[in-house]
Amino acid sequence: MRRLILPILAGVVAVIGLALAMATPPDAFQGDFARIFHVHVPASWIAFLAFFVTALGSVAWMLTRRAFWDRLAAASAEVGVLFTAAALLTGSLWGKPVWGRFWDWGDARLASTALMFFVYLGYLALRRATIDPVARARRASIIGMVAVIQVPLVYFSVNLWRSLHQTQTIRPDGASMGPEMLGAFLVNLLAFNLVYLALLTSRIRLGRAQEEAAASSVPAGSAITAPRLDPI
Amino acid sequence: MRRFWNHVMAIAGRDLRIEGRSGEVLSVVLPFAAVAVFVVPLATDPLTTDLSALAFPVYWLVSLLFGMQVALRQTGTESTMQRRQLALAGVDPLARFLGRVVAAATLIFSVTLFTLPLVILFYDPQPLPPLLPTTGTVLLFATGLSVLSTLAGDVTVGLRTRSALAPLIVAPLAVPLIIGASRSLESLSRGGGSLAWTGLLVMVDLALAMAAVFAARPMEEATI
Repeated sequence: MRRLILPILAGVVAVIGLALAMATPPDAFQGDFARIFHVHVPASWIAFLAFFVTALGSVAWMLTRRAFWDRLAAASAEVGVLFTAAALLTGSLWGKPVWGRFWDWGDARLASTALMFFVYLGYLALRRATIDPVARARRASIIGMVAVIQVPLVYFSVNLWRSLHQTQTIRPDGASMGPEMLGAFLVNLLAFNLVYLALLTSRIRLGRAQEEAAASSVPAGSAITAPRLDPI
Repeated sequence: MRRFWNHVMAIAGRDLRIEGRSGEVLSVVLPFAAVAVFVVPLATDPLTTDLSALAFPVYWLVSLLFGMQVALRQTGTESTMQRRQLALAGVDPLARFLGRVVAAATLIFSVTLFTLPLVILFYDPQPLPPLLPTTGTVLLFATGLSVLSTLAGDVTVGLRTRSALAPLIVAPLAVPLIIGASRSLESLSRGGGSLAWTGLLVMVDLALAMAAVFAARPMEEATI
């Protein structure tokens, strides 16, 4: 029962967040299309957080060699890929009515996010291709550490390159949105963080169960014993 | 320290000698790269397509794809037994890694330099960037790509999906190199300075070198 507390809490906060997002007044310029921001931005934020946690797990595995860190890195990368896909999808859906197209090559944030998505697909493919769990952890931890270079590149891409994408909405000097929108956004951000934590813990538990099952499983053919050649 | 660098140069020399004997890059990758440069204009309508605008994008794409092929070439792949022998002989994993990077960088640099006149010949880009800074840009690009490709090649060694998996890891991570190199060349062609883009290339090369220094020993452990 204790295991269900986090997913239920995440679900409740997500429902409240989405209801608040629908209740806020429409944006002065983009109208109702701006509401997708309440899903798009938290999804992007979780993607960054997830890949940072993957790098952290990779470094910790390298230093301690404890299986938990590898499970954490793998689980976080999987959840991160899911949220990156959600961010790309919601961004494209918003782009069509506002920019006039689903994809715009003039937007550095869009292109760099897609690249980050492919990098972590490669990370997951590497994990899938390596059967031995220790070799898998060793190889994946190297890519997990190198691939995180993409995260600051994506985050600062709107400042570094000419981009259609707006710059950071919430900065140290304040937020460029009304208090109602900000409140709804913060609730959604909390909801996405809880969803991330719920998915992460479930995936870690599943990973441990998979490893235990693999370790205790009997190899195929082991029921058949070699014929005894002792003289009768 | 001197012994370390002697090992680096010995490993690089070994890889280049193997290439000299097998000729994998010279007789397979280079002609294939030339064909790739040649095929793109055939796939476009010469009356409506401005080939000169395509010149440098095609050049960097070919450099990336064939640079990866060079670094991941079959004759440059060490077997587990070779790695074990080198480890037993007391060769530092970092020296082994750097030696392979030096060899791969030399070969990638040669391939990219060879492709440049072909692109100029077939696509006629105007105006042309000055030779010396262009060579420097290509060298920085080749260095970064060789570090990244050698790293991905080592991480995926022995896997059945290596030929597709290693490029999947390298290509998206090589994007800062592509951006730095292409913008630098573009700026040089227009007669402007390329310091900022060259700076980006240097930064990326340094970051990759640091990652390689940190990862070389665990990687040795992972693949032996």
